[in-house]
Amino acid sequence: MSTTSQKHRNFVSEPMADKPVTALAGIGDRLGHSLMEQGYDKAYVVLGQFLLLRKDTELFCYWLKDVTAANSMQADDCAQCLKEWCDAFL
Amino acid sequence: MPFVEDPACLSKSRLKSDLVAHNVELPPAGSKKEAYVALHLRHVDQTNAADFSSDDDQEHNVAGGDPEGAKELDPSALTDKDLKALLFKYGVQAGPILASTRAVYEKKLRKLLQSAGEGESNEADNAVLYSDSDEEDVSEKDEEKELEGEQEKKSEALELNQQQCNEMESRSAPSACSYSKPEHWSRSSRLDTDIEDKDIVVEQAVRYTPKDSACVKEIKDPVKDILKDLLPDTKTSPTGIYATPRRPIKGAAQRPIQYAYPDTPVTPTTLERQEVARRLAPVYVQVLVFFAVMCILFLIFVNVENTNNVVSLLERQNQRPDGEEGIPALDETQDAACGEL
Repeated sequence: MSTTSQKHRNFVSEPMADKPVTALAGIGDRLGHSLMEQGYDKAYVVLGQFLLLRKDTELFCYWLKDVTAANSMQADDCAQCLKEWCDAFL
Repeated sequence: MPFVEDPACLSKSRLKSDLVAHNVELPPAGSKKEAYVALHLRHVDQTNAADFSSDDDQEHNVAGGDPEGAKELDPSALTDKDLKALLFKYGVQAGPILASTRAVYEKKLRKLLQSAGEGESNEADNAVLYSDSDEEDVSEKDEEKELEGEQEKKSEALELNQQQCNEMESRSAPSACSYSKPEHWSRSSRLDTDIEDKDIVVEQAVRYTPKDSACVKEIKDPVKDILKDLLPDTKTSPTGIYATPRRPIKGAAQRPIQYAYPDTPVTPTTLERQEVARRLAPVYVQVLVFFAVMCILFLIFVNVENTNNVVSLLERQNQRPDGEEGIPALDETQDAACGEL
């Protein structure tokens, strides 16, 4: 819990249910819009992608940077957020 | 080229698969191996001979042969299965390779190929730097062997390195393969770092160490060279066992004490309790005060209460059986009590 944002803490604290993809840490409006265009409209869909990559944060970062115009920091935040969520709830 | 093999040496299943690969009709199921060999000789070897005679560049054979060989292969040209297998060889457990995940795995594979290529060049550089004899031959041999696919010889390399590790453990010197960790030197007398070194060696051995026995000699020499580089004033011992001096224990054998411990081991809580006790009154004083207060209260109680119970109590105490003198005695005792106060 060194430098996690409030968004990260909010996301990781409860099951994601039907939260939109913009609820993920590191995913703002721009990236969220980009993901929604590709069909990843809910956070659980992105979770699905994360799980397909066997919960590997490095591979997930590659994927996110590939699919959207995310930079390393945003991708890392998102990957870390999903990883912690999985550790807590999966 | 290793493709020229006597078909008779191959197994029946291998012959079958070769025939299928060359689109040759298989003989009936119950046929003997000779039938397969004959067909193989007829069709497969002909095509191989044609290939050998016609082409100059080796790409045909490499592409047709094992995908593990060439490092210039394009991950995007691989099938899903091949991609997965290749990633597995690099120690990456890949999930399902779908449309969405394929790009990611290709990227990962490219990075692994790059790092493997860099590792080869590093090792070649190091070989040139450290080995004193057979430099060029060994480094060339190394690169060739890398190209042939070092992963298949993993078990052999591991065995080799375990042997080396066993030798090196006794020397308490950093292993030759972990060039990047000279700082282990200072703590090398401890067992756990030796085990760490072993792990690092085994890990790196999988990728970098060639299996040739000539290279064992090459690795042994750099060990001594490293030792001399790091500690130039070590005396060479005939047994090959090197002992490194550890830091002197402070406080022992008249050495200056680095950190002075207090004489009596007191915990912070006892210190606090002692301080508190100093400020408050000691226990015995408290007890005396308590008894004094009790006496005062008792006397006050006696003075105030004018009941027969108290009188009888006092009479019994004073052992005065006289009934007439009860009341004056009472007065006397009361006066006496007042006098005391």
